[in-house]
Amino acid sequence: MFRAITRTQWKSSRGLVLLATILAFAIPIASFRTATDVRAQGGLFLGAIASWSVAYSVAAAGIGLSLAMIAWSPDHRGRHVYALTLPVARWRYVLMRLGAGALFIAAPVAALLVSAEVVAHSSSIPIGLQAFPIALTIRFTIAALVAYALFFAITAATARTAGIIITIIAVFCAATYLAAAADVHTTFFERTIEWIFATPGLLSVFTGRWMLIDA
Amino acid sequence: MMFVVETHDLGYRAGSDFEIAQLNMHVPAGAVYGFLGPNGAGKTTTIRLLLGLLRPAKGAITVLGQPMPQASVSVLARTGYVPERPHLYPTLTVAEAIDLHAAFHARWDKPWASELVSRFDLPPARRISALSKGETGKLMMLLALAQRPELLVLDEPTDGLDPVVRRDVLEAVLDYVSAHSATVLISSHLVHELERICDWIGVMDQGRMIAELPMQEFKAGIKRIRVTAAPRDAGNAPFTLLARASLNGSGEEWLVRGWEPAMRAFFDTAGASVREVVDLDLEEGFVELLRSFRSPLPRT
Repeated sequence: MFRAITRTQWKSSRGLVLLATILAFAIPIASFRTATDVRAQGGLFLGAIASWSVAYSVAAAGIGLSLAMIAWSPDHRGRHVYALTLPVARWRYVLMRLGAGALFIAAPVAALLVSAEVVAHSSSIPIGLQAFPIALTIRFTIAALVAYALFFAITAATARTAGIIITIIAVFCAATYLAAAADVHTTFFERTIEWIFATPGLLSVFTGRWMLIDA
Repeated sequence: MMFVVETHDLGYRAGSDFEIAQLNMHVPAGAVYGFLGPNGAGKTTTIRLLLGLLRPAKGAITVLGQPMPQASVSVLARTGYVPERPHLYPTLTVAEAIDLHAAFHARWDKPWASELVSRFDLPPARRISALSKGETGKLMMLLALAQRPELLVLDEPTDGLDPVVRRDVLEAVLDYVSAHSATVLISSHLVHELERICDWIGVMDQGRMIAELPMQEFKAGIKRIRVTAAPRDAGNAPFTLLARASLNGSGEEWLVRGWEPAMRAFFDTAGASVREVVDLDLEEGFVELLRSFRSPLPRT
């Protein structure tokens, strides 16, 4: 059954998986290339590497989000009637869908690892610095899986529920921005953001420095 | 009598407008049970309740001897379902949809599925989104049949199909039923179609079951009777008077249920005479039954 679900899901996800794989392969090489150029022009190598941190977290979140949405889209289109009439327990079906999508994350993760290893074995790394391809790949994997699991749960709900959750997030973001713009000082937004993004917050894996090369 | 589907005082409410109330349904084993009712009567909702897609608010459901929705996994393994609207994944090809479905059904009959692909003339490599309505209908029927179900639940399976496809689909169902003694619950608007294939009927309206009986009994029992000098009071009649209407001064036309020839005596003793007894086909009987349910007082 799992194989059949995976095959079905692969059919709708394969384009995205291909794009994600290319993207994941490109980021480490592009970051190293940029840092090498910056260094040649007298700039800070590590500063250039650090500036790519956000690309890793955004890529991981984007891959997780897209795969989660695709995982449920065929069922949403058929109003879940097909899935609900299959002779399989609902929790088991959900786990199979979750597992199939999680499996596809392996492709961009592998591409990131290969690309990071290529950079790690480059002779152009400045003396005194070292590469952390495995650590970066593990972090990328965890981030992609967290994003995937989170959005999988949200998109599994009805469109109305998903809409409510997304609206709450959007309202929170807008309120934070407006409060900052209006110079209103409140600890509520800071504490909430810290609770979510600071260690051991749910999304803390996305924050901080994602350094392929560091001291 | 053994029942494959049985509900007891089933209740379900969807919003403030629609309610299924105290629904008692009995589908005998081996029967082809026609489930009739106008649009919005609650047929599809009832089918969804039977299959565990919806949870009832009240009452009990037993399908294939097991309680629903508690036993939905084992019941669905023995039940083939063709829903009202196509529900298959549109990005899959016909062959992929068959493979996916087969993976979930332990009793899947691969040779027969292949035979049905040829018989229905389905293109295995074509995407489901590119299939015609008729092809989609045939594919859904193939999926329901090749899992070798003991119960087939067909919700408007031929709705919108052309007569040729309709015939192919129904022939496949009847072949299967005769070979495997399966039970069929079929809901349809096409009353003539049901008349041809069903041996039991259940009529539903406004969320209630208003009649449930063998087809022959239904057809034989409902008659249109033309009477001269009709009695005013039909309270002690041995049949059920569903409706009565004047025939422009030349008597009355009565619509009765439970009619038998010996009941002419009722009119004779009342000083009336029966001019004609007209058989109704299923559609006429169905329409009149609905009419009498909605306006229970006899029309004069």
